[in-house]
Amino acid sequence: MGAFNELIHQPVRLQIMAALNALGAEEQVDFKTLRETLGVTDGNLATHLRKLEEAGYITVHKTFVGRRPRTYVAITPAGRLAFADHLQALRAILDAG
Amino acid sequence: METQTRITPEEAQQALDLVAETTRQMRRALAHGGMPYFLLIWGFVWLLGFGSSHFFGAGSSTAGLIWAVLDVGGAVASFAVGAHLGKKIRSPQGRRIGLYWLALLFYGALLIYFAHPQTSNQGALLISLLAMMGYVTSGLLYDSRFLTGLGLAVTALILVGYLAVPAVFNLWMALWGGGSLIAAGVYILRKWR
Repeated sequence: MGAFNELIHQPVRLQIMAALNALGAEEQVDFKTLRETLGVTDGNLATHLRKLEEAGYITVHKTFVGRRPRTYVAITPAGRLAFADHLQALRAILDAG
Repeated sequence: METQTRITPEEAQQALDLVAETTRQMRRALAHGGMPYFLLIWGFVWLLGFGSSHFFGAGSSTAGLIWAVLDVGGAVASFAVGAHLGKKIRSPQGRRIGLYWLALLFYGALLIYFAHPQTSNQGALLISLLAMMGYVTSGLLYDSRFLTGLGLAVTALILVGYLAVPAVFNLWMALWGGGSLIAAGVYILRKWR
């Protein structure tokens, strides 16, 4: 049975992990696209990204495209594993119920 | 981070629904590397291009002009889609796929120039098979069964048309070749909605 993960289970962080898990290997999504997809504010997204980054589940890269600063976010292998474990735990709760 | 937190089955279902919906939204936002848009663009290029070859004659200057406009338009539209998606998502695959298709285009042009297809049907066959080779091999390289399967299916349709109905091969290519690509693009867009 997978491990229920309280850090990931918070709704916005669950959405962030689901969105990043939908990316292919080595793919990074930019902050603005992620924010628009999830329908959250800049500050809210940044706060939750920081918590996930501290846990080692995601990476955040700041760069420039032309002269414009851009922030790209990606899920780590550890993040994919923890997310998969969490989904497994949720399904186990459903099955047990 | 494992805890003893317990949630109800209803809450677990809500969380799983949220995950499924977010995954759909993300796939729609990124359109999986633009695949459905590229399929639609080149499906319409084939539909109109091969259609013009059928109705105006494969060797006619009108059909040649229409093909030239469609090819340039298709390339510009593909570049625009790629550049737009490239801002949303950074992927080493995206650049590699672009270079792969450029290389295929370069070698395709060399092949056609030096191989001198004897008939317009042979020329159309060569170009369309090269395009499908691109679909199948990029599908294999990037683990997309959908793209590989689509490439193989359209290849079979191309060969059936070339061998069974050579007199209306261009019309066949417009409807079955272009139509298949358009249908695949529409299918992906609807599936991810």
